Amino acid sequence: MAQTVVVTSGKGGVGKTTTSAAFASGLAQRGYRTVVIDFDVGLRNLDLVMGCERRVVYDFINVIHGEARLQQALIRDKMLENLYILPTSQTRDKDALTTEGVARVMEELQTQFDYIVCDSPAGIESGALRALYHADAAIVVTNPEVSSVRDSDRILGILAARSKRAEEGAEPIREHLLLTRYAPKRVQGGEMLSLDDVQELLRIPLLGVIPESEIILQASNQGIPAIHMQGSDVALAYEDVVARFLGEERPLRFVQPEKTGFFKRLFGG
Amino acid sequence: MNPTPKSILRLSGGVFTLSVLRLTDASVKTLQAELAAQGSALRLVEGAAVVLDLTDIDPSLSLPYTEWLETLREAGCFPIGVRNVSDEQAEAAAALGLPHLRGSDAKIATAPSNVPLVTHAAAGSVFSQPLRSGQRQYARGGDLVCLGAVNAGAEVLADGHVHVYGPLRGRALAGVQGDESARIFCQRLEAELVAIAGVYMTLDAEHPLWGKAAQVSLDGEHLHIIALEN
Repeated sequence: MAQTVVVTSGKGGVGKTTTSAAFASGLAQRGYRTVVIDFDVGLRNLDLVMGCERRVVYDFINVIHGEARLQQALIRDKMLENLYILPTSQTRDKDALTTEGVARVMEELQTQFDYIVCDSPAGIESGALRALYHADAAIVVTNPEVSSVRDSDRILGILAARSKRAEEGAEPIREHLLLTRYAPKRVQGGEMLSLDDVQELLRIPLLGVIPESEIILQASNQGIPAIHMQGSDVALAYEDVVARFLGEERPLRFVQPEKTGFFKRLFGG
Repeated sequence: MNPTPKSILRLSGGVFTLSVLRLTDASVKTLQAELAAQGSALRLVEGAAVVLDLTDIDPSLSLPYTEWLETLREAGCFPIGVRNVSDEQAEAAAALGLPHLRGSDAKIATAPSNVPLVTHAAAGSVFSQPLRSGQRQYARGGDLVCLGAVNAGAEVLADGHVHVYGPLRGRALAGVQGDESARIFCQRLEAELVAIAGVYMTLDAEHPLWGKAAQVSLDGEHLHIIALEN
């Protein structure tokens, strides 16, 4: 049986799609058969971040409406052979995601994959609700600022009340906090909430901290999931995230401001 | 012996929030013109049941109910009763299936919310999970106990006392049916708003008991917040 993981946040622009792409790639790197689904109907982005936008012929909505078979819509990743992308439609809207249609596709994916990663749209409307409905685990992506934390809190409430697991009275969804765009220097300067502040407010286990970095922008412009940006702190941080998700212990990195070396200070680096 | 046939009728109570549409002129023509002019404003009540409030209309007039109903239904709202009418006017309305409703005005209109997560808790309910932004818990007829946090944007209401053992960062309303002896107790007062029997107060970090254990009580028209001594 596949495990379904929703990447969600409430607020837009916090890094859901970047995280979905990197996280799914990380699972696939470790040998798990993984599929990542774009639930953001009408604002198709995941295919861009995964660099497969030119290979989209059929999409998730076509499959839901019986216009294409699942195998026709699944796109194999260009870098990892056990990673597939199920892109969404740019021309339809969220109402095209019917409850029964999504359930049918999820059931079919269950038999073929180890992990199903659902990239949720922002907001708390039908698209976001469909994305989280089937989840076994959730990665709540949060930026270190108050409005993002408030929206994450709202999404956590919805996860606990409106998912399939909640409706069936099953064991609740496993909740994971992922803090993204973290800039330790700005935290120190009091411009950003600290990791402790966010944890104190949301009170769910921490999966990782992704530092704010130029690399993310470069990666998505090139259509390469950030975890492949070798040697970068972002890639290392996402590798840690995948490891922790799979139950390994990893110490936290990139949460302290970089120490300026003696020479750097001397010569103004 | 034959078993007694089961009745298909079940009578139970329910409380509903209805929109009230106040007509200030009895003329059907004026109503039609008005509806045509501000159709978009009325879209708010489209598809909703409304109660016609006729406070401003001469109680001695005989009213054009049939025409009103037709016009309003065409505009998409469904009158289900009348209020503030004379006995004669009420009788005429009743003949058309519009009962006379005698209720008090709601002082504050509540905005409709898209994804309500309101749960009516039984009296004396205990919640062990944190209440998150957008969630509401109401303990009807008793106290509400929350063991975890009440986060910003969440709301706890009780007819009796409200106890919060985690940080109270959202809204807490005790004695919502008017019990002035109800109180709010919390381990960490960081609330957006506290209210007892309708008397409310907003708070911020300037408050001397901010972040401290405190209780809120009502004395006449004033809320008192005092530290909870150990």
